Amino acid sequence: MSIITISRGSYSKGKEVAEKVAGQLGYECISREVIIEASERFKVSEAKLIKAIHDAPSIFERISQDKKTFITYIQSAFASRLKRDNIVYHGLAGHLLLKGIPHVLKIRIIAEMKDRIATEVERENINEKHARLFLLKDDKARRKWTKSLYGVDPWDSSLYDLVIHIHKLTVDNAVDFICQAATSEQFKTTEISRQKMEDLALACQIKAALLEQNFDVSVISEYGNVLVYTKASDRSVYKLEKRVKTLSREIEGINNLEVRSGMQFPPDVI
Amino acid sequence: MSIITISSDSYQLSQEIAEKTADILNYKCLGREILTTIAETDNIPESGLHNALDGSKSLLRMTGRVRNRYMACIKSAVLSRLLNDNTVCCGLAAHLYLSGVSHVLKVKILSDFKEHGSRIESEKKFSPRKEQHWRKFLEASQIDKTDASRYDLVINLGQIEKEKAVHIIIDTVKDRKFMPMTYSINCIEDIELESRVHKLLIERFPHSAVQAKRGSVVVKIRTFKYKKQEKSNAIKEMLNKISGVVHVDVYVKNYISWH
Repeated sequence: MSIITISRGSYSKGKEVAEKVAGQLGYECISREVIIEASERFKVSEAKLIKAIHDAPSIFERISQDKKTFITYIQSAFASRLKRDNIVYHGLAGHLLLKGIPHVLKIRIIAEMKDRIATEVERENINEKHARLFLLKDDKARRKWTKSLYGVDPWDSSLYDLVIHIHKLTVDNAVDFICQAATSEQFKTTEISRQKMEDLALACQIKAALLEQNFDVSVISEYGNVLVYTKASDRSVYKLEKRVKTLSREIEGINNLEVRSGMQFPPDVI
Repeated sequence: MSIITISSDSYQLSQEIAEKTADILNYKCLGREILTTIAETDNIPESGLHNALDGSKSLLRMTGRVRNRYMACIKSAVLSRLLNDNTVCCGLAAHLYLSGVSHVLKVKILSDFKEHGSRIESEKKFSPRKEQHWRKFLEASQIDKTDASRYDLVINLGQIEKEKAVHIIIDTVKDRKFMPMTYSINCIEDIELESRVHKLLIERFPHSAVQAKRGSVVVKIRTFKYKKQEKSNAIKEMLNKISGVVHVDVYVKNYISWH
């Protein structure tokens, strides 16, 4: 019983690996379903959400409030989905949100550039030169997006438990390793890890609710005790506190909800 | 005759994993103890060999030329030992020069930094300033340290236990893709011959490039036009004494050249 996140570049056979792993372990395989759920829950079009998570900010552009809000919606839908356990997720940077959750097995699948080009040429019916350009551009954009959002390089192997290079190793080899690793003790759900997941989902839900009303906050939760951090001025803090009081009645699972302003944010806030 | 190379940010960790793997598979384990033999054979300081494997280029410590010579000696010695037996190799940067050989399984082990962090820091003896200097050197050389495509498998020991990592390596190497075939054996023999030739030439011709294929050796050097014949003959004379060399071609590029 665990959560497996599979990070991959385009045409790296990550989706194939994810689906086979899910099939072998009897887990649910999700990717786009998170976008659909976020879209339904927060009443935002799927296209806008996809644009928010695909387009990296330009050098002159900071992440706009809209983009931050949409990303938070996706994170909230993602975290609440993963509370169910026994899931294989393949998509953008899911593992980075789940940093610190012990029963998450984080996998990265990489493939040879020439194999990726060949796959893209076959699927998209374009020539090799265009395929290569597209892949390089896509890799660069994904890297930039992850760095701007999470401050880490997604190609850094230390972010993952296992990095598998599909070249001499086949998709079936990768599936075997992942299934083997997923069944080890370290990746089994425990009470503590389940609680951490609940806390993460709660923090994301609260943050999304506050961002909807243009409060720029960071949130952390521990056993249902939620702290909302803000850099806003006194007047805004008053409004925020009012909103937070209503939220504590609306959302289940909150033991205590406090606002902290003018303080340094702890490192693991959402 | 499979070969497993194990790399890590900590030599002790890669050695530990290598020894456990070699023990279970009944393979030979090749680590940095070979550097003592190389130092004696080639009359090189052993500390220089360690620095060549660990440290960055620096005008104050070791010039590029000296480092290249030491690496050529290490490469030649390591490859000669990898030709025959099932071997697990660690701490010798073997994954860099065995990249084209299909029956080599290249594994990187990432240590649990909380457990091994202080040991890694003391092994590398890198101060933050030197770490920054090393990072800038990598950027200037366009070496992407995050690039995991040099390896077949990267295992992070943060959550995965060492024993599990060893079992993953063992299960992987049993795949028939890591069994040596005629083509891959020829490939490694060619690389080994290249390394022996390069080691012989590097002191006198530090900028030489060598390629070998089934005993035919091609050497590329840069020199002045008027010295072309003399150097070409010298190289052929040196190389004809090496076992395994059937034919030698020397290509000379003029130092003063617009191309």
